Amino acid sequence: MIGELERQGLGPTGNDFPGDQEPPRLRRAPSRASDRNYPRYDWSADPAEEEDGAGNAEAPPEIRTLPWPMERKRAVRQVQQMRAHVSFGAESWRRNKTKSLRKLQQNVREFLYFFSLWRKSLQKIGGNFGGGVKSYFVFLRFLVVLNFVSFLLIAGFVIAPSLVRRSAGTGGFVNSTDKESCLVYDPNPQGLVVFYEFFLHLLSGTGFMEDSFMFYGYYNNNTAVEDGSLSYNIPLAYLFTAAFYFAFCLCCIIARMGTAARVAVATGGRAIGNYSLIVFTGWDYGCLGDRATKLKQKNIYYRLQVDLEEERIKKRAASLTPWRKVALYTLRVLMFLIALGLIGTAFYGIFEATKFSQENGDRFGILGLFIEYLPSIVITTGNFLVPLLCDQIALLEKYSPSITVVVALLRAVVLRLVSLGILLFTLWSQITCSGDLEKEDCGNCSYNNKKYQCWETSVGQEMYKLTLFDLLVTIALLVLVEFPRRMVVDNWSSKLSQLVGRQEFVVPSNVLGLVYGQTVVWTGALFCPLLPLINTIKFVILFYCKKITLFCNCRPALKTFRSTTSTFFFLVVLLFGWGLALVAMIYSLAVIHPSYACGPFRFFTTMWAIVPNSFYSLSEVTQEFLFFIGSQAFSIPLFALSCVVMCYFIALASIYGRSVAMLKAQLKLEGQDKQFLVKQIEKMKRNNI
Amino acid sequence: MGNKQTIFTAQQLFYRYRDLAPQLVPLDYTNHPDVKLPYELIGSMPELKDNPFRQRIAEVFSEDGQGNMTLDDFLDMFSVLSEMAPRDLKAYYAFKIYDFNNDDFLCKSDLEKTLNKLTRNELTEEEVRMVCEKVIDEADLDNDGRLSLEDFQHMIVRAPDFLSTFHIRI
Repeated sequence: MIGELERQGLGPTGNDFPGDQEPPRLRRAPSRASDRNYPRYDWSADPAEEEDGAGNAEAPPEIRTLPWPMERKRAVRQVQQMRAHVSFGAESWRRNKTKSLRKLQQNVREFLYFFSLWRKSLQKIGGNFGGGVKSYFVFLRFLVVLNFVSFLLIAGFVIAPSLVRRSAGTGGFVNSTDKESCLVYDPNPQGLVVFYEFFLHLLSGTGFMEDSFMFYGYYNNNTAVEDGSLSYNIPLAYLFTAAFYFAFCLCCIIARMGTAARVAVATGGRAIGNYSLIVFTGWDYGCLGDRATKLKQKNIYYRLQVDLEEERIKKRAASLTPWRKVALYTLRVLMFLIALGLIGTAFYGIFEATKFSQENGDRFGILGLFIEYLPSIVITTGNFLVPLLCDQIALLEKYSPSITVVVALLRAVVLRLVSLGILLFTLWSQITCSGDLEKEDCGNCSYNNKKYQCWETSVGQEMYKLTLFDLLVTIALLVLVEFPRRMVVDNWSSKLSQLVGRQEFVVPSNVLGLVYGQTVVWTGALFCPLLPLINTIKFVILFYCKKITLFCNCRPALKTFRSTTSTFFFLVVLLFGWGLALVAMIYSLAVIHPSYACGPFRFFTTMWAIVPNSFYSLSEVTQEFLFFIGSQAFSIPLFALSCVVMCYFIALASIYGRSVAMLKAQLKLEGQDKQFLVKQIEKMKRNNI
Repeated sequence: MGNKQTIFTAQQLFYRYRDLAPQLVPLDYTNHPDVKLPYELIGSMPELKDNPFRQRIAEVFSEDGQGNMTLDDFLDMFSVLSEMAPRDLKAYYAFKIYDFNNDDFLCKSDLEKTLNKLTRNELTEEEVRMVCEKVIDEADLDNDGRLSLEDFQHMIVRAPDFLSTFHIRI
């Protein structure tokens, strides 16, 4: 047998025996009482007839899925294979093709499996800390891959052609206009530069970094190549790459949400089955090690306690007198207003900081750097302090534990995303003089060209600074807070250190940090094409940093996060961030006038205006075709058709839902019937005796 | 993404089986030698030794019901506990594992034993009783006060984590 195994290396479902071996040894005297529960195998069913065109053998059932001992499965498979040789002709050819296709699919999947990133690390994390923490790292890995692929896209369509154009040497065209003052732009004044200025430029994206492929301002609006046969319209490519990048990210997120949602929907209502689910599916059989096992047991104990506690709270809440109920509700409304006030203060702080930073951005040295980073600092401090205070408020509100978690998450999400929105709004009001293009600063070039010779680059720089600051703060926290905390708690035993304890890896706030970082990148990608690459590197560094801190400094959380529903939740929040970035991008594309002095869209009224312009350079046939698609003769039938298709799918979904409910009811009925019949049999037996 | 398969062949499992007792297990299985490893060796495997249900797992998959496993039993066990096994198969064997008295029903005493193994006997009597009552309330469809295989399978359908928790990584 070992020789055959070596030759064929098959999976665990059995092997081919050479035909002349003795018949397989069947199990003797099955002492397992449940042997009689084995489903009967339908020997009369001919496998050749039952298969449909797709090659799926629905009946008889696949041997793999039957709960039989290995010997019996081998025997049945042997008989099946002897039978299968009988059929011939087109059917057997089709069956062979589908079988080999399935084998190929499986082999490809196995092959790709070896290439999946960080597989061993994720396994270790899952085994030691559970599914909730692992889902954070899986989400991080998804974002790394997404950013890297986006970078390849942008590099292929925008950066590489620009590189070629640059090396070919032709400069940008300068149309003669009357907006001479708008054309002034000098990003990198050459001259004697102090040594540490290099470092300052690196951190704030100015100087040599501004005059490079990093930012929008470096790209040109030239299109034709020397020999005239090839022409690559860089501005159009820039625009379409940005649009496609957003669409691509949306597709990836929705595809992932689809798989997560399928699982979430299949489980139906969540509320039923809490206790039984904890008892029967709570134990992770993959848990390794004595310490992890003890922790898992404590975890389950804690979860059961939490549920029992919720029961007690519910009973107590139901027994409150009306006066106390009124008092509780007014307290909750008051706390809600206080939380709202805290969040509003944070927003105001961000607004003021951004305005101050943009107005005083030309100081030098460390003070200048500090002022440049002021918005990032205020956002990070707000994102840290406000949830802490809201947690304290939540203690007073006395919601049940599950509602408390949801409320805290919602508050944190609102805080993070809206604070970014406030930053963008402040930038907008600075760039376009709050929308009033008649003001003296904006009257000349339709944007504030006194402060911003190249406003897109400034926005890109702001996003770059946010990204960089996020990474620096994470690393600083790791080194200055988490490691010392662990050392203090481990080596100095006192009441305080017992109270504070080792750190817990809190999944929701870490995920929100990732979503915030990704939203910043999406917002800035139009203005800073290399930002996805920087973000990839940042997330890779983050993965290793978080892994190190997880294994060295953290204890496993007692309150676990459900891994399957939480994946769906992370993706929904990511979608919100995407929506925010989309709004910012559409607004900059369609409304704000591009800078005169830099960038590929120099002399267009808006960035979008290049599309209609290039449209007329297409061939006649293409133009007519596109006009036709945009016309009513095409779009109205298309709309009607999509309505019909949508109605079909809605009807299908409701039918499935109803049949699921009916089957559940039938299951209950069958059980009751069985009980009734058993009682009847016993009664008859008793009567006969 | 990439965690849908663990790739272990029957050959690797055979070597793991043999490593438990090299002097008992021959390299050549063409004559179907009747070799059974005692439960103590199986229970000392690193994947199983800390699992509170290891004795029940070995008993369920062993031929003699005592935990002494042949190679086929061993392959059975890890094939059911792998990522590739279908949900119904896993539910079937999970039911057998939690059925301590082997009567094809999960009655109150079975649940109490399961609960004590899960929480290391830390719940009080009162809490154990409450949880067992709630579990039977939630999952018992035919109202006979105990869970049959159908009840159990019906409940597992609504547990999205089951496939990933009832899984031993080897």
